Amino acid sequence: MRVQPSADRLSKQEVGERQSPLRGFFGSFGGRYVAEVLRKPLDELEQAFLSIVPSKEFQAEYQEKLKSFVGRPTPLYYAENTTRRLGGGRLYIKLEGLAATGAHKINNALGQGLLARRMGKKRVIAETGAGQHGVAVAAVCAHLGIPCRVYMGEVDMMRQKPNVFWMERYGAEVVGVSSGSRTLKDAVNEALRDWASHPDDTFYILGSALGPAPYPDMVRTFQSIIGRETKEQLAALGLEPTALIACVGGGSNAIGFFSPYLYPEGWQAGQVEKSGQRAVGSSDTVNTQRHLSAFPSIGPRLIGVEAGGRGPGKGQHAARMSGEGKVGIVQGYKSRFLLDEDGQVLPTHSVSAGLDYPGIGPELAYLGDMGRIEFTTATDKEAIEAMDFFARTEGILFALESAHGGAAALRLLPSFSNEDVVVVNMSGRGDKDLFITARELDRERWKEFLQREVASLGDSL
Amino acid sequence: MKKLMCHLVAGYPTMELSYQAAMGMVEGGASYLEVQFPFSDPTADGPRIQEACVQALEGGFTLQEGFQMVRNLSKTYPEVPIFLMSYASLVFRRGISWFLDQAKEAGVKGLIVPDLPFDQDEGYYEAAWERGLHPVSVIVPTMEANRLHQLQKLLESHGEEFVYVALRTGITGDPTNLSDENLTFLRSLKARGLKLLAGFGISTSAQVEALSPYVEAVVVGSYLVGIIRDAISTLKGSNLERGVSLKRAVNRAVSTLIQPD
Ligand SMILES: Cc1ncc(COP(=O)(O)O)c(C=O)c1O
Repeated sequence: MRVQPSADRLSKQEVGERQSPLRGFFGSFGGRYVAEVLRKPLDELEQAFLSIVPSKEFQAEYQEKLKSFVGRPTPLYYAENTTRRLGGGRLYIKLEGLAATGAHKINNALGQGLLARRMGKKRVIAETGAGQHGVAVAAVCAHLGIPCRVYMGEVDMMRQKPNVFWMERYGAEVVGVSSGSRTLKDAVNEALRDWASHPDDTFYILGSALGPAPYPDMVRTFQSIIGRETKEQLAALGLEPTALIACVGGGSNAIGFFSPYLYPEGWQAGQVEKSGQRAVGSSDTVNTQRHLSAFPSIGPRLIGVEAGGRGPGKGQHAARMSGEGKVGIVQGYKSRFLLDEDGQVLPTHSVSAGLDYPGIGPELAYLGDMGRIEFTTATDKEAIEAMDFFARTEGILFALESAHGGAAALRLLPSFSNEDVVVVNMSGRGDKDLFITARELDRERWKEFLQREVASLGDSL
Repeated sequence: MKKLMCHLVAGYPTMELSYQAAMGMVEGGASYLEVQFPFSDPTADGPRIQEACVQALEGGFTLQEGFQMVRNLSKTYPEVPIFLMSYASLVFRRGISWFLDQAKEAGVKGLIVPDLPFDQDEGYYEAAWERGLHPVSVIVPTMEANRLHQLQKLLESHGEEFVYVALRTGITGDPTNLSDENLTFLRSLKARGLKLLAGFGISTSAQVEALSPYVEAVVVGSYLVGIIRDAISTLKGSNLERGVSLKRAVNRAVSTLIQPD
């Protein structure tokens, strides 16, 4: 059965008026902690998001382009070989990486790009880590005819060179960011600075479910297509999921994939909120209550997988929920971050640039603290092994980010029973990681190849 | 009367030298000091202040040292009010009450925390007022009239007068061309009974002169960070000698802004 992305499912609820009596908050997380200069553009953006996105005209255009430009629906694949080899639950893979430009990022880039056009914005800016969001934004802007500038940390430009090249082919201007750790968080800082300097004519397409409100709601809304489609595809097979697994950088593929299952039936806004948003804040006094046990059925297990990097040491990973993330306010939102005692942001590491970020989207942090979403980690090594495993066993190539989810799936699958249905989101394809995986898995031959390439470039001069 | 609020980054280029720079500012005629505690991700700051923050943090800046520096300054120059500028992450991490208690104890007069705006403040405004500290809001020219009104009502109800006026959109450091619009805006704010600390991109005595009739103090930030940066590249000799020459360079720059040669 072909699953039609359907416009009518995008209810008012889904544009973010449900979880909290205070718009833009998830429990005490989220919010809009920004310098005054960004207040007006964020207010305007929120207005546009709430009024334009649910409209029939917008949805018709968005859904049409999701089919014709993005290539949706993406398949749901039964990983039969893996299931047979490992025993335990039945593994399905949502092949989100088959969307145009190779990752889920395009769902959000397209949605925000169309909104930018309807708001009459003349210029788009974006940040990117792995480059997948940047590539998606660049392609969308080429498609819509809007000039586009992408900020990217210099460290990320080095390790994701092919994506820099592709962004430029799509006509985007890629600007290297040399401040701070020169990775994703610094690219976000620079995009925020640009926006503060051009608040009137510029639309900032943020690439993950984080940042000041309304971004977390907006990005979830545009990524919720992953979860809705998966649910319909499972239903068409007569299946209900037992567990959903996704990697978590900022959290956009995870929150979109989990979206139909986040809140139990009968959930009321405000039910588990702490009273008194204006109480004097302290990261040590926040103590979200766990009221979820009051619900008879909370739905499938939702498992987020963070970057375990090289292990638990400081600066060696990006595990905010499963590590020692602290409640903080950074980059315009309140959530869990990797911070030192003074509140300085700690360095992070992951083999995958897309997970190499010290914060996590506020809704995921909230649902994690409540116990609705479980968090675990996969190390660099486990992710690379999982990438290799799925390539050989299933003929499917995971992006290194997504392979963190794949690694957790391989680890957990034997603990399920054979009626259980486990679905992992392959948020991206691994093609972009050639320069990382080749040096890890086939170092000598890769080196020879590169040397020959360099030599042949010399010859042709 | 031309009054300056001189800005510096604590710990830049070192704790000791930033203290000397502050002394140079006071001796050059600063009426207020704005001491910025460096944060790893200063999203409202341009390249010059970013670099200063990076260097201060690489030098091992801690909040404890920052408060110690402010304590020393406020003891040495009790007549010069000190405003502390930083970001929400530092103010929030150990608890807003803790941070404000430290600030109060160190002799701070008020605080500027751009990413804790008055309606999304985690209780920071009330907590500051309870301690007799001034939480200073940032006002920008693009602010909606009803939001400005909302803010003013809040400030009035607490007898708060200090506000910080950013003279343009954008981040610190880029030059600002003062326009009639700027001055009209400042005049209207002054007429509301507010004490204005106004800045962003101020680097000349002519700008200081033009703003002075409307404001409590003209804020000079990135320009002075640039003076410090240029001075340290030429510093020589013992720590003492380096401190003396930095102090002298900063003193000269500040007094020239107030009283051109
Ligand atoms: C393929 C892929 N998956 C996941 C991520 C992580 O982002 P998020 O957690 O927002 O899905 C990225 C980010 O660049 C990515 O490229």
